[in-house]
Amino acid sequence: MFSYYFNLGLRSLRRNPVLTTLMVMTLAVGVAASMSTLTVLRAMSGDPIPHKSERLFVVQVDNYPADTEEGEDPADHLSWLDAKELLRAGDGLRRSAMYAVGGVTELQDGSNQLVSGMAVTRDFFAMFEVPFRFGGGWSAEADTRGADEVVLSDAFSRRLFGETDPTGKTLRVMGRDRTIVGVLDAWQPLPKYYWLVGGSNRFGETDDVFVPLQNALVNELDPNGNVNCSGEGPEPGFNGLLNSECVFMQYWVELKSAAERDAFRQRLGAYIETQKSLGRLPVGERSRLLNVQEWMRAQRVLGDDTILQTLLATGFLLVCIVNTIGLLMAKFSGHAGEIGVRRALGATRRQLFQQYLVQAGVIGLAGGVLGVALTFAGLALIARQSEEVAAVAHMDATMLLLTLCAAVGAALLAGLLPTWRACQTLPAIQLKTQ
Amino acid sequence: MLSMRQLSKIYRTHMIETHALRGFDIEVKEGEFVAVTGPSGSGKTTFLNIAGLLEEFSEGDYLLDGVSVRGLNDDQRSRLRNEKLGFIFQGFNLIPDLNLFDNVDVPLRYRGYPAAERRRRIEDALGKVGLGSRQRHYPAELSGGQQQRVAIARALAGSPRLLLADEPTGNLDSQMARGVMELLEQINAEGTTIIMVTHDPELAARAQRNVHIVDGSVSDLERGALGHALHISRVDDSPSVAG
Repeated sequence: MFSYYFNLGLRSLRRNPVLTTLMVMTLAVGVAASMSTLTVLRAMSGDPIPHKSERLFVVQVDNYPADTEEGEDPADHLSWLDAKELLRAGDGLRRSAMYAVGGVTELQDGSNQLVSGMAVTRDFFAMFEVPFRFGGGWSAEADTRGADEVVLSDAFSRRLFGETDPTGKTLRVMGRDRTIVGVLDAWQPLPKYYWLVGGSNRFGETDDVFVPLQNALVNELDPNGNVNCSGEGPEPGFNGLLNSECVFMQYWVELKSAAERDAFRQRLGAYIETQKSLGRLPVGERSRLLNVQEWMRAQRVLGDDTILQTLLATGFLLVCIVNTIGLLMAKFSGHAGEIGVRRALGATRRQLFQQYLVQAGVIGLAGGVLGVALTFAGLALIARQSEEVAAVAHMDATMLLLTLCAAVGAALLAGLLPTWRACQTLPAIQLKTQ
Repeated sequence: MLSMRQLSKIYRTHMIETHALRGFDIEVKEGEFVAVTGPSGSGKTTFLNIAGLLEEFSEGDYLLDGVSVRGLNDDQRSRLRNEKLGFIFQGFNLIPDLNLFDNVDVPLRYRGYPAAERRRRIEDALGKVGLGSRQRHYPAELSGGQQQRVAIARALAGSPRLLLADEPTGNLDSQMARGVMELLEQINAEGTTIIMVTHDPELAARAQRNVHIVDGSVSDLERGALGHALHISRVDDSPSVAG
């Protein structure tokens, strides 16, 4: 009977075309408003590496001074002093200390191009499952030695070399002639969770280049981001920075399982105690070990304005549903005669309830189709807010399907009361008044 | 086919009780063509609604084709209505969105027949009322008489045991009314029991039996007796008998 009801629903769209259009528009606008904001919310709050996010941890070693106020979060970054020790300890399955670097790339025609990059250890690529189009990461030996090597992002490589494989070529990047060992495939985690700190573009493009951390340190590549120093400032020079309590690094570790977290935390606690005995880390006990989702929450990746927008849009959808209830009441009241006839011809109340609920669903489906189109328009509008939002304001297949389901669901919800009311029609009265 | 014993129907509001039917007895045998007459407000329509399981009654017993109707739930009443009854209304009550084929299809859908069986029955029924070639037309494209023929086809498609007709010619001119009446007589001749409510004494006179309802109670009239009553009413210029 469902196909019969569906067919009747399609035909009923033509009846009361003004009311039908109003309902379809109401649902479409309500669904589009909520789905476009929900798309952004989902993209911003989504898990960028779901199969692994429980095993990837950012380590926050708090080196704030003793007079730090209670309740204040530990520093987002850590110092090279701590990053160095953590790397040396070699704890966990994979690990990488990293910091943002910047500079210029000297092109063959003599022109320079500004580049943004990350100084990372080789584990970075396997830990974050970075895909490669050509080549791969550098070797362990190159990692230790701090070789003049570089990995290019997909977009950067295409800009410089087009579709050709540039691995093995030399490129002068950040003052060094570097051998290109790898080119990433398309990779743009949203958000860019491995580097959410230091005013980074969280939803921006992947960094242009990746260089070995040791190479960056040896060549004194300055941090391209926030450097926070508590207490006395660093000694002059790059080595002064490295030997200071200034924080500018991020440290990520991959554990074999989420269950190893406590054990790692204990070892981290032991390290902090050792450092305390050496007169460092006076509030080191506030140090944290956060997995990907926890880190994103701590960094407030999902802004309050996004949440507020979504709540308002959802409220608007509710208003649209309430309006649709009224419109459906009006539409179904015009069907009282037909309901009476169908009852007389043998339809049960349940069958009529199903028929009219499917009819409401068909209206919802029409609203959903229009709603999808409006959602695309809504996302285009939202994308104009900022580049960051533009990066996530894209509808995928899941959200498209969800939009259709939301419209049908909203229509079914709105249709419950009018359908129930319609089915209470006493056929004898309706037949007499026909 | 239909048996009502001491049936009553009381409409209650918080202020008053209205007895639409009281002590109502009627027996309709299989194959009969019964005309029900009576003045406005006498209870004709209430009787027809109860007979058609569209309304519940307050007291008494009602057997439809040997099945006691009392205490049946909505599903059971609907199934009984679908399988045993056919309806013809004064206002035709066709569904305007559906073409003739789909209008006649409505009761068959609820019966759960497969598509081929439904098609065969629809084509037979529309053919029987002379509209076999207009299956894809919509009700608005037909005259009143043709619409009523479609309604009859719809009622016949499910092979009902009992056809309930409420003023089936009330909205038709005399020529169309005659055609519809001839069709009903033909259907009755083929074995279907018919109960027809009418104000038209000439149509009532063509039925095998006339039942006159006054103040919610029934009084059977022989055809001759009704003819006599009609004759008196016409002399007196009183509408009470037909009214």
